[in-house]
Amino acid sequence: MNSKKLLFPYVLVTPAVIITVLIVFIPIIETSIMSLFNYVIWKPKDYKFIFLSNYIKVLKDPVFWISLKNTAIWVTGTVSLQLILGFVTAMLLNRDFWWRGIARSLILIPWVTPSVITALMWRWMYDGNSGVINDLLVRVGILKEYFPWLANNSTALGSVMVALMWQGFPFFSIMILAGLQAIPDSLYEAAEVDGATPLQRFTMITLPMLIPILFTSILLRIIWVANSMDVIYVMTGGGPGYSTYTLPLYSFIKAYKFMDFGYASTLAIFLTLFLVAVVAGYVVKVLKSQGSME
Amino acid sequence: MKKSFIIILMMVLMSAASFAAGQKETKSANVRFWYHFDNPESAVTPLVQKFEKENPGIKITPESIAWGAYNQKLLTAIAAGSPPDVSQVKLWWQPQLIEMGALTPLDDYINNWSGKNDIYDNVWKLTRYKDGKQYLMPLQMVILYMYYRADIFKEMGLVPAKTRAEFLTLARKLTRDTNGDGKIDQYGFGIRGARGGHDWWGTFVLSSGARFFLPGGSSGLITPEAIAANQWYIDLYRKYKVSPPTTPNDGFKEIIANMKSGKTAMTIHHIGSSKTMEAALGDKISAAPVPKGTERYWTSFGDEENGVFSASKYKDAAFKWVAFLATAKNNAVWQKASGQVSVNKSNGETSEAKSNRFLKATIDSADFAHVLPALPQTAEFVESVWPTTMQRAFNGEISSKEMMEIFAKLFSGK
Repeated sequence: MNSKKLLFPYVLVTPAVIITVLIVFIPIIETSIMSLFNYVIWKPKDYKFIFLSNYIKVLKDPVFWISLKNTAIWVTGTVSLQLILGFVTAMLLNRDFWWRGIARSLILIPWVTPSVITALMWRWMYDGNSGVINDLLVRVGILKEYFPWLANNSTALGSVMVALMWQGFPFFSIMILAGLQAIPDSLYEAAEVDGATPLQRFTMITLPMLIPILFTSILLRIIWVANSMDVIYVMTGGGPGYSTYTLPLYSFIKAYKFMDFGYASTLAIFLTLFLVAVVAGYVVKVLKSQGSME
Repeated sequence: MKKSFIIILMMVLMSAASFAAGQKETKSANVRFWYHFDNPESAVTPLVQKFEKENPGIKITPESIAWGAYNQKLLTAIAAGSPPDVSQVKLWWQPQLIEMGALTPLDDYINNWSGKNDIYDNVWKLTRYKDGKQYLMPLQMVILYMYYRADIFKEMGLVPAKTRAEFLTLARKLTRDTNGDGKIDQYGFGIRGARGGHDWWGTFVLSSGARFFLPGGSSGLITPEAIAANQWYIDLYRKYKVSPPTTPNDGFKEIIANMKSGKTAMTIHHIGSSKTMEAALGDKISAAPVPKGTERYWTSFGDEENGVFSASKYKDAAFKWVAFLATAKNNAVWQKASGQVSVNKSNGETSEAKSNRFLKATIDSADFAHVLPALPQTAEFVESVWPTTMQRAFNGEISSKEMMEIFAKLFSGK
């Protein structure tokens, strides 16, 4: 009886483990193996084991370094913008106003819009010949003439980041809103009795109480944004030149434009390693700061 | 007794079933056919019905594949061991497909095919692989020409350019402020800076001193003449500003939309887009051969063929289908939907064909139409290296020389 009881949790968890092994671990192992081979799909005769040659080639590849730099800008910029906008929106949605219910539903629209639709929509809004963004900026006098936002190498990445900020900020809004509603009113009332200013209430009560939620949300968004390439691919295809190349996009292009699956796998491994390092560093730092607060 | 009767009955039934299955395998062939159409009004269904009626026992299973991912889907399907039996392919894919051993030589079939002599001789010549074998069955062709806004030309008293120098003068005149607000709202030339724009580039660069290879086999892309020709092309955008500011990212949709809206007064494309251009602009749009470069004419021969895959179990049936599509009457039906030019001589001689101004520009360009080198690197050049490098040059990140060195390195195979 006892042994049956002990086995029961393992039985429950087995399907999930099997699925994870099949769809996550096996592809990871296969990618790692593929990265050690010269595997260009249209050159079957040249397929051979080359050990770490792909890794050395990647480190000498200037496009890899451009993509890595762009990935860092892309993740930091997009997640920060989403967090700021999400925070402000959550604070507003936490206030009492008569159409709050509708506003909370409307805010989800960007989040539920498919990435390809988001990308196409923003691409046309940015259009350098007839885009609504240019039209508005010219009308209010900020621009003298239409500007090719996505065709200029100094504005292309930033423009795509704004599109992704729009798509992703509702996630932060909803998460932070949930956190805000979990803060007991008694804390604010006590602070008010003690004479705390609104700013003090925000920094001493709201922020510390939201830290666990912010930690989880930021962590999830870093992983998602770092891996996301669909919006970039549809909006610019990585161009102009390499100005919107990020690591997952470069890996995709190497795999599906050059059909070089060995090299693309190596790039994917590098991306995974960087992501693990960033996430681990972030977790350690946050845990430490939480420890010092306690 | 009862038991043995049941066993005998089962054996009889099983042998009958296996005989029927065997019969089915030899008599009926299921040919998987991959194709793509820009025009959603595809001609495939009526042609399949006609073919199946004429060839009982052969079933065609057509699968429409999105053009953007066609090449990668085909290569991955071949690598995975499950290619279709027949697929529409581009000529510049041929080297990679042959490298993979994916295509069946069709020479024996074609030599015994009655429709062989109705295909243009030049089409056979251009589509034959460098090993002397014919792997592809011609399906359709286009030759790129210059579209121009006839109404604007008439208003300004201009005629299409015959030379590169005339073209620049023309493009500069056509780049203007049409409504007097001090801003340029019409550009002389719509350049395709994104994927597919190598045909625009080739028209001016490969006609003015640049060659992929010199007679001795060394690169003809890094000679002083080639670099100067490339600089001239970059200058159209950077120095003379005769194309819209969005040029580096402009693809097919943008260059066509800009012509339709009057944002540009000239661009390069082929007869495939003439229907939609004419629907939007009527007589205001016309076409002429591209201008001559400093050395020669160069325009792109665009093509599509059908390949029969070596992994196919039904090669005979597959060839019957590709031959059916290359036969004049059926090819005419196909081209009506594709908007491209038939590969059959007899279809080119109809009065309808002769009165079409876009077809005239196509035929007038036939003598100087070229194809890209039959090398495996050509696919990479077209798909990725050309657009990325051209965009960098247009944005001033690299010089003309650096750009041409990247191409020369790619084609050297190092």
